[in-house]
Amino acid sequence: MTSIHNNKLTTNEAIVTYTILILCTLIGIVNPAFLSFSTIITLSRAMLITLIFAGIEMLVIISGGIDVSFPAIACFASYASIKLILKYNIDSILFFYLFASVLGFGFGCLNAFLIARRHMPPLIATLGVSNIANGATLAFLGTKELSNIPTHIDSLSKAYLFSFTNKSHITYEMTSLILIPIIFLVVLAFFLKFTTLGRGIYAIGGDKNAARIAGYNVKKIQSLVYIAAGVLAAVGGVTYTILMRQASPQNLMGSEMMVIAAVVVGGTRITGGHGTVIGSVLGVLLIAIVQNNLVMVGVPTHFQTFVVGLIIVLGTSVTSIRAKHIANSAKL
Amino acid sequence: MKYDKINKNNAMLLLLGILIFVIMGILQPRSFLRSANIRGMFIQLPEYGILCYGMMLAMISGGIDLSLVGIANFASIVGATVMIANGNTSFSIMLGILAALVVGIGCGLFNGFLIGYLKIPAMLVTLCGLQLYQGLGLAITKGPALTGLPSNFAKIANNNFLGIPIPFYVFIVSTLVIAYLMKSTVYGQQVKFLGANETASRYSGINNLKVTLLTYMFSGILGAVSGILISSHYNSAKSDYGKSYTLLTLLIVVLGGTNPDGGEGNILGVALAVFVLQLISSAFNILRINSFVKTFVFGIILIGTLLVSEYLDEKKQKE
Repeated sequence: MTSIHNNKLTTNEAIVTYTILILCTLIGIVNPAFLSFSTIITLSRAMLITLIFAGIEMLVIISGGIDVSFPAIACFASYASIKLILKYNIDSILFFYLFASVLGFGFGCLNAFLIARRHMPPLIATLGVSNIANGATLAFLGTKELSNIPTHIDSLSKAYLFSFTNKSHITYEMTSLILIPIIFLVVLAFFLKFTTLGRGIYAIGGDKNAARIAGYNVKKIQSLVYIAAGVLAAVGGVTYTILMRQASPQNLMGSEMMVIAAVVVGGTRITGGHGTVIGSVLGVLLIAIVQNNLVMVGVPTHFQTFVVGLIIVLGTSVTSIRAKHIANSAKL
Repeated sequence: MKYDKINKNNAMLLLLGILIFVIMGILQPRSFLRSANIRGMFIQLPEYGILCYGMMLAMISGGIDLSLVGIANFASIVGATVMIANGNTSFSIMLGILAALVVGIGCGLFNGFLIGYLKIPAMLVTLCGLQLYQGLGLAITKGPALTGLPSNFAKIANNNFLGIPIPFYVFIVSTLVIAYLMKSTVYGQQVKFLGANETASRYSGINNLKVTLLTYMFSGILGAVSGILISSHYNSAKSDYGKSYTLLTLLIVVLGGTNPDGGEGNILGVALAVFVLQLISSAFNILRINSFVKTFVFGIILIGTLLVSEYLDEKKQKE
């Protein structure tokens, strides 16, 4: 452990930062327009939802599990809520968030029950729940995208923190929804670092038995993690609906891969027990830059999936080789 | 003790299969027992049935292979490219199939190397692999499906031999090969040891890296074979065919009595589960139930199976 903390220049976060800087310089050379303030606004909008999901996924992975059901839960919760809202004409942002959170809570409890109580492998359990949620959305709620969001709820999508007009008179507006991931991630960082429960999540991810013997209630902590993941997934889904001004039953499906990738690239160890909020944010940033700006450096669109895949493989290999190195080094 | 449970599981699957068959035979005898429906089942079943064996091998070794569908599509795309480049001859078909198999082996070895040598968790490697192989396929096709394959290629999946579609023979051959591999070779025993306890397996002199490489290589080959069948069925190759097969294979392999934690699994169970799932799937189609309901039901079956087997294990332990 000491070797990682002593050298701040070779931590995972540092490596990701270097990669981001090199990438930005490269894109900036090819296309100088990239290095402007407007890029920050565009990128924050692109990262907004991924940041929320990355926070959830990081929490679950640190606890030694994995969650692939959050896109399905997000879709189900937000789509079901918006249907109810449209049917009974309840034009309230608070109701939207609360009702969706209750649905997310339900699915979170299901995940928690299967994984913490019945000891199912987290990947298979959440994959099953994902199918249940997604199948239920499409089979029982509908397949149509709804764009007639009630006016009051819709007004949130036009609430801006500040706006910025560049030299060619194009106005960029920073959506105030960005506050949701920022507040969530700051709270998460403090929670993980300074609370007993937060340390407990690292402990059970590192070694379940050791954590139990040390006095942590493993079942309780695991359940809390998956329930929180369910609720936050719903919050993410609602935020996505408001941001896109459209409710879709399956637009988010498939995003789990990218989120897991971002989290792992950011240095969270997939086997559990390690991970930081800053690392995950950097991972999300790296993937967002790659996804949104490869075209600028001349990489054709159909190569993008491959390039993102390659970055993930390289990123995980680096993390894993480092972990192997640390495991093999002499213990003090 | 262990054999009792496996046999019980298989007996249950057999019973379930017969039950569905009988119920559907009574409910919708005209459409369910029609030869077109049975034929359709025999064409469709091998496509994911063969993928299931790959998933089973990976799971017995203590890992998982989520990249199978990616390998299948990537292999068939490379195969199709080779075939298109070589014109409309039998030689070009052979060459294309060979290319697809080579791709399958390559992808499998790459997975195995990352898992066995770099010790990256299998789930992560194959999840990335899915992205990577899908991306490579997309880079070759640039999006749309590759068409213009040799005309005889489509006959592989769509022609009959002795009244039974050819893919079904491929499925039977794969079943026999994998059964032989698991029961009668040293590798078959080693992969079970590896899955049951990696450290113990290493200390008992098994070359874990070699076994892992072989496992994912076999899995890759099976992926490629399935890819050939899928592209022959559609007479084209695309990077996102058979997307729903990943969950389906997981479900079948778990339903067939394979332990998700590794070390245990039997071919007969998986083969039976393939048939049961195909029967359910056909029944859904004939009763005209929305395909999304199928997703929903499959999710419930997956979790239900795990819950039941978990419950039975617990009960047994208490005794």
